Amino acid sequence: MIQTNMSKSVVIAVALVQLSQFAQAQQVTAKLHGLVEFTATTHSEERAWLRKGWGVARFDTDSDTFGISRAVLSGRMDFSSAWSAHAVAHYVPDPDHKIGFTEAFIQYQPLAQGYQFSSRVGGFYPRMSLENPALGWSSPYTFSYSGLNAWLGEEVRTFGAEFELKRAARRFRSKHDVSLIGALFKGNDPAGTLLAWRGFVPHDRQTVFNERIAFARVKALYARQLRFQGQYVEPFSEIDGRFGHYVGVHWSYLKRHSLRVYWYDNNGDPGALNYVTKQYAWDSKFWSLAWRSKVSAETQFIAQALYGNTAMGPRRGVDNDFYSWYMMLSHTFGDYRISGRVEQSKVMDKDSWTFDPNASLTQGITLNLSKTISEAWQVGAEFQFIGYEAESRPVAYLPLGLHEQLWRFSAQYQF
Amino acid sequence: MKKILIWLGFICFSSQALEVRVTDEQGNAIAGAAVWLVGSKWQATDQQKAIVYSMGQKDRSFLPHTLVVPSGTLVDFPNFDSILHHVYSFSKAKSFELKLYRDKPLAPVSFTQPGVVELGCNIHDWMLGYILVVNSGVYGVSDEQGKVQLTLDSSQLGNVQLNVWHERFENLDSPESKSITITQTSQIVHYQIQQPLLDKMEFLTDDTDEYE
Repeated sequence: MIQTNMSKSVVIAVALVQLSQFAQAQQVTAKLHGLVEFTATTHSEERAWLRKGWGVARFDTDSDTFGISRAVLSGRMDFSSAWSAHAVAHYVPDPDHKIGFTEAFIQYQPLAQGYQFSSRVGGFYPRMSLENPALGWSSPYTFSYSGLNAWLGEEVRTFGAEFELKRAARRFRSKHDVSLIGALFKGNDPAGTLLAWRGFVPHDRQTVFNERIAFARVKALYARQLRFQGQYVEPFSEIDGRFGHYVGVHWSYLKRHSLRVYWYDNNGDPGALNYVTKQYAWDSKFWSLAWRSKVSAETQFIAQALYGNTAMGPRRGVDNDFYSWYMMLSHTFGDYRISGRVEQSKVMDKDSWTFDPNASLTQGITLNLSKTISEAWQVGAEFQFIGYEAESRPVAYLPLGLHEQLWRFSAQYQF
Repeated sequence: MKKILIWLGFICFSSQALEVRVTDEQGNAIAGAAVWLVGSKWQATDQQKAIVYSMGQKDRSFLPHTLVVPSGTLVDFPNFDSILHHVYSFSKAKSFELKLYRDKPLAPVSFTQPGVVELGCNIHDWMLGYILVVNSGVYGVSDEQGKVQLTLDSSQLGNVQLNVWHERFENLDSPESKSITITQTSQIVHYQIQQPLLDKMEFLTDDTDEYE
């Protein structure tokens, strides 16, 4: 044991020496960007899911009426022409002042005259979303992401390697950009757990590495059949030792019309269970289709749809189909941007475990008006309506449905 | 008084400029064409060669899109954006790469060999710009009306080779040229491009096109 630790230390020491020599030999540059978002908001009377409540709004009566809703620090270090290291850290106040990484990866992107090959290794977002292109996977359109992308931000992350081969339009004097993307990953086995015992919810609370997200007191989780499932999910943990994969295609025409199609399969073994962390591997797979059209330099339309299935248990005791879609219109005039989004998400219970109803339906309307004051400051107001129904609620003697109407005012400082 | 001076300045300037009007095969005005005169009388002066020219990056675009510089000069690459640009060229005339931050400017790059330098960004692959390195001190880029004003003095009259280049040429390394005779400093020359131009590439990008 001591020998193993010794040899590990030697390997790390040698690696550090080599890295520092490499850093000295090369021109190493580093840059930090960040943002702090201050929010004043109305509250939901229902306790938020992050505090083990049944509420579907991020901010409840325990949230600050005015405070920092999110802070991001994003760093990039360039070691050479092709190699760079990237990390994004988040602070969120809910539920208990969480600080952690949302992304950390090494990127290899050599200069190319023709086809561009690039790769990322580490923990990062798959690039399925066209809604979250800003710093720290933020949305430049609305404060809350669609339920679809909020779920990707909660439960879907790549811990592995992604490879891309791109035919960039400009390099071929073409109007079409085409990219093929493939990734192999581990550690995203419980993805889908939140869909079963909560459903889709539009919000902007991204999960950091190694985070645990609690559930409300869903009755089924006290049943004998689910006694090994914790009252929480650790979405990025590895349970079954198997590799997952996703493949994607990006296409765009003069950067006016963009399409992203992905097939994601975490290849989870639904019978695999970690008795210590009380997490199952879920067999989760889905299609994601994202479309964006710039109608003009000021106006754009974005839509995305997700369709898939997730299941857990040796005999797929929990087995759910799900879909989620949104459509958004965004328009800029001067320093203002106005965005509106409608969405619907549904979880459909396919299994025979009647004691554990997982079906849910979420509908949402989000309207946002933002003003850019300077390169550093942006302010905005957002109205959000969420309509939610879940079959698990009546089992807990709660009404089937729940409606939320929330106002949020945010100021964002970015550097 | 000010107005009179401005008018006088304009008259003096216009009376000393050779105006080249660039059109395509159909006679439409062509913007963005690089035009330069080649010959012993039209060489770059030491003063022109001492200038440090600038090819900036602003809002994820090269600014200017096309820059003409005399050979043997330096070009600076200021980044006006808050994000990193990885500017590169594989062109025969100059091959180089620079990782550029706004607050960490790098030393200017020397361009000695005449030719077309095609610029790209390895992070924002829609960014495209051109530096034309020319053996000339009399050059310009056509405006929206296809017009270029080339400032001359009376010693620069005579037979000269007029070169024209556009990014929509099939072969970017082959400018077109034509012999012309300049008889006065306020002459107008019409130049019709001798080849069909490739389609316009009007990419539409903004700050929602990825953070990096």
